[in-house]
Amino acid sequence: MPAFDIPFFGTLILCLILVSASYTMAMAMGAGSGRPHLLPSARWGTYATCAFVLVAVCVLAYAFQVHDFRIRYVARYSDRSMPWWYLIASLWGGQDGSLLWWAFLLSGYTFFATRWLRGRHTELQPWILATLMSILIFFIVLMLFSANPFATYIRTTPGDGEGLNPLLQNYWMAIHPPSLYMGFVGWSVPFAILIAALVTGRLGNEWVRAARLWAMIAWTFLSLGLLLGCLWSYEELGWGGYWAWDPVENASFLPWLVGTAYLHSVLIQERRHMMRVWNVFLLALTFVMTIFGTFLTRSGLIASVHSFARSDIGQYFVWYLGFLIIGIALLMIWRLPKLKADNEIESLVSREFAFLLNNWVLLGMMVFVLIATTFPLLSEWLRGEEVTVGPGFYNKWMVPLGLILLFLAGLGPLVAWRKATGSNLLRAMMFPLGVGVAVAVLQFLFGARLGFPPIVEPTEIYDTATGTILAWTAAVAPGVSFATCSFVLASVGQEFVRGVRVRMRKGEGAFTALVHLVSKGRRRYGGYIVHVGVVFMFIGFTGAAYDVERESALRPGETMAIGSHTIRYDQPRMEADPNKRMIFTDMTLLDDDGKPKGEVAPAKFIYRTHPQMPTTEVAIRSRPAEDVYVIMSTVDPSTRRGTFRVIIRPLVAWIWFGGIVLLLGAILSMWPTARELVREREAAPRSFRFSPATAVVGLAIVVATMLALVGVASAQTDGSSSLHAGSVVINDPVERQLFGRLLCQCGDCERLPLDTCACGWADDKRSEIRESLAAGVDPTKIQESYRAEFGAKALAIPSDKGLDRALWAVPIASMVLAVGLIIMLGRRWQRRGEELQTAATATAPGELRYDSRLDEELERYEEDT
Amino acid sequence: MSDVLPWMFLVVAGAAMLGGLGSLWLSLSLGLSDHALGDVRAQLTSDARRALLAEKDALFQELGDVAFEHDAGKLSDQDFNELNEKLRAQARHVLHELDESAEAFRGEAEALIAKRLEDSGENA
Repeated sequence: MPAFDIPFFGTLILCLILVSASYTMAMAMGAGSGRPHLLPSARWGTYATCAFVLVAVCVLAYAFQVHDFRIRYVARYSDRSMPWWYLIASLWGGQDGSLLWWAFLLSGYTFFATRWLRGRHTELQPWILATLMSILIFFIVLMLFSANPFATYIRTTPGDGEGLNPLLQNYWMAIHPPSLYMGFVGWSVPFAILIAALVTGRLGNEWVRAARLWAMIAWTFLSLGLLLGCLWSYEELGWGGYWAWDPVENASFLPWLVGTAYLHSVLIQERRHMMRVWNVFLLALTFVMTIFGTFLTRSGLIASVHSFARSDIGQYFVWYLGFLIIGIALLMIWRLPKLKADNEIESLVSREFAFLLNNWVLLGMMVFVLIATTFPLLSEWLRGEEVTVGPGFYNKWMVPLGLILLFLAGLGPLVAWRKATGSNLLRAMMFPLGVGVAVAVLQFLFGARLGFPPIVEPTEIYDTATGTILAWTAAVAPGVSFATCSFVLASVGQEFVRGVRVRMRKGEGAFTALVHLVSKGRRRYGGYIVHVGVVFMFIGFTGAAYDVERESALRPGETMAIGSHTIRYDQPRMEADPNKRMIFTDMTLLDDDGKPKGEVAPAKFIYRTHPQMPTTEVAIRSRPAEDVYVIMSTVDPSTRRGTFRVIIRPLVAWIWFGGIVLLLGAILSMWPTARELVREREAAPRSFRFSPATAVVGLAIVVATMLALVGVASAQTDGSSSLHAGSVVINDPVERQLFGRLLCQCGDCERLPLDTCACGWADDKRSEIRESLAAGVDPTKIQESYRAEFGAKALAIPSDKGLDRALWAVPIASMVLAVGLIIMLGRRWQRRGEELQTAATATAPGELRYDSRLDEELERYEEDT
Repeated sequence: MSDVLPWMFLVVAGAAMLGGLGSLWLSLSLGLSDHALGDVRAQLTSDARRALLAEKDALFQELGDVAFEHDAGKLSDQDFNELNEKLRAQARHVLHELDESAEAFRGEAEALIAKRLEDSGENA
């Protein structure tokens, strides 16, 4: 036990941070309110505050390393047998520590933003610093009053800790939360820049340019965090999927959707000085969604598999969210006259209008996810009835919206800014459309033979007309998806070819032209590469329609066949380390001739500190065409008989590959230009200048390389035994549809439907239902009696009547209303645009002499960039 | 590693503490004086110029994009001519404003050059 009082010292540091941040905020506000000499003082105050946060994190990390179990947080999330790297990961493994981690990352961003601001945006700077400090103050207050990571036990200090949740003892856990937090916290900087612009009234393009890079950094980390979350879920939770629409997953998806809408919409403001109110709204909403997401993750108000993060700090977040929303609304109303657009949309056939449609879909998806995520709460408040909205609901409704978004990703690059004539657009679309149609025809002719039919079996989530429409939409979605993916790839490919051809006309060779094209238009072509990444990810998502699953009980030496594979169970094997016991089952994949073509070893881990939570290690053999995903459900030590669940998941690897391409595209689009770097050096030739782009590029390359190297072929921990301890057998489509609608009610398996849940209770219930089905009872009646017995919350998807219908009717109505509004406003803008066009910008006579200089400078600009 | 790590955290914490206290001290002393005022005023002036330069870059970028889209066949000749002329007018205006903003420093720059020439003349 260390000699000095770490808990007291840690709490003291938290108080010091609070004092320092408050002082800095006061100084910054003073600098922004007519006393500019206080600005340097505020800047140094910011550095001091950031340094104190680093002290707090180091002290907590030290406490973990020396096992100071006087600190409650250390005792609850570590034990003496844990290796040092998991002791570091424990910093963000629980609630209190993750709040300190939030503050630490925020202080990191703040430090670098303050360095970057030196010599820039002097009028915005005080308010940027003040806003960042106010966010930090909120988190420090939260820790001091509700979730102090340095709090001690009131009575005796335990001799050893409880250990980190086995679910979190995984290498993805070491990088997934920090990356996700980097994404969440990163939006604080563009938000602070926005608030500064609103307060000072400098609402031109200055703040947009200042926020651009920081928004891209935040978006990239958020995307990376989501991707790593999918990987963690796929390998760690072991249910065979990568995205379960859990509230906590949705919490990170919401800001991503709005942030993506912002990144597209802000291009219109940069180019056309339009959509100012909308961009302010989107950026503010993105930040609000990050706080809302943290609230959902931390409050535990909605049932989630991330149950290790529950607490009572929700009320603080509610107050803070209220304060944020009211504050932003008031600022926007105050500055409305300054947010007027300089231009109007000149044509409905333009890139601007395509971006508006993109925003419409993204926000429509956001509204869907938001309403569905919060619907259980709303239902309980409004009618006192608990309901659950399971993955089936999201999967059915998100598919058509996702496909529209995918189509727009291909359409956007084909449309010119300002105005494109119908004939030009049609000519540009011919090739991509032709490719899309060709792929659709080929899939129709040969798809079934290759295992990828264009239409799959429809499953209904409602027994109504809506259910039938949704079921058929999902059934044809695989064919539509592959055709649309081909359309987007052809569209992006065509853009590259057209660009290269234009440059080749200037005498460049094809390769030089390609290199110059990309290097001179990094933002544009980086964006296109992001679209290509999205296409690859969609290919992976589409593969889920062709999953094959089988459950078998085998003795050593016996084989099971699934899809084109034969798998032999060889033997069980026991290993141990100081932290856990491990039971592996060695299995061999055989080819058609019975020769080995690969080995897998699914396992069970029993952790010393959590013997009641044995985890199931899945084994994954990953190939571009498909993953073989093997779960060992049980193994009998006396007979050595094992029960195995094997899932063939086609095309999953394309999701991870697409994610890497997406990240590389994002990195390319924010890579600083030579011109920007030269300006940096000119601004401060003798001192070190922080280039955030370079930093993020370095970080992202490291993580992307890691993703590429590690792959997904290794065995990873499954979810806790309370989630998946047994096995699931599905005999026919009727069973799959019915079990998919009913949730396990054992008390431990929250949100798991009977077609996934492997616990004993679910197994008994499935047998009971099978007997009813065999007796000829209608599945709808079985569902009704299940609801009558366990309540509405026992159904995975709320019914399609009464208030439950609002779940999809409200988002659909708002989307229809929004698209009507967009078209109406678009027409009005177009009319006004045409009027503005006729009154084209007049040039003062004195300015005409700049014509030749303009040509010279344009030529120089072209050479420099 | 597990033996060294606690000490590493302590050392980093100690260094950060010293850095934090030093920065706080500097902040307090700067807050109590108005030495930095001149720097801030100069910065405000260069901020305005920087904004104009950014505006110029954005317009140049847009002019390049419009030409590129025309060359790639996405914009008709008529649309290109309209858009190009409109953007060029805006760019000329920005160049004019940049010259105007530099005018404020002309006197100061001329005085500095004259002084430098005078000094070098004396030295010679």
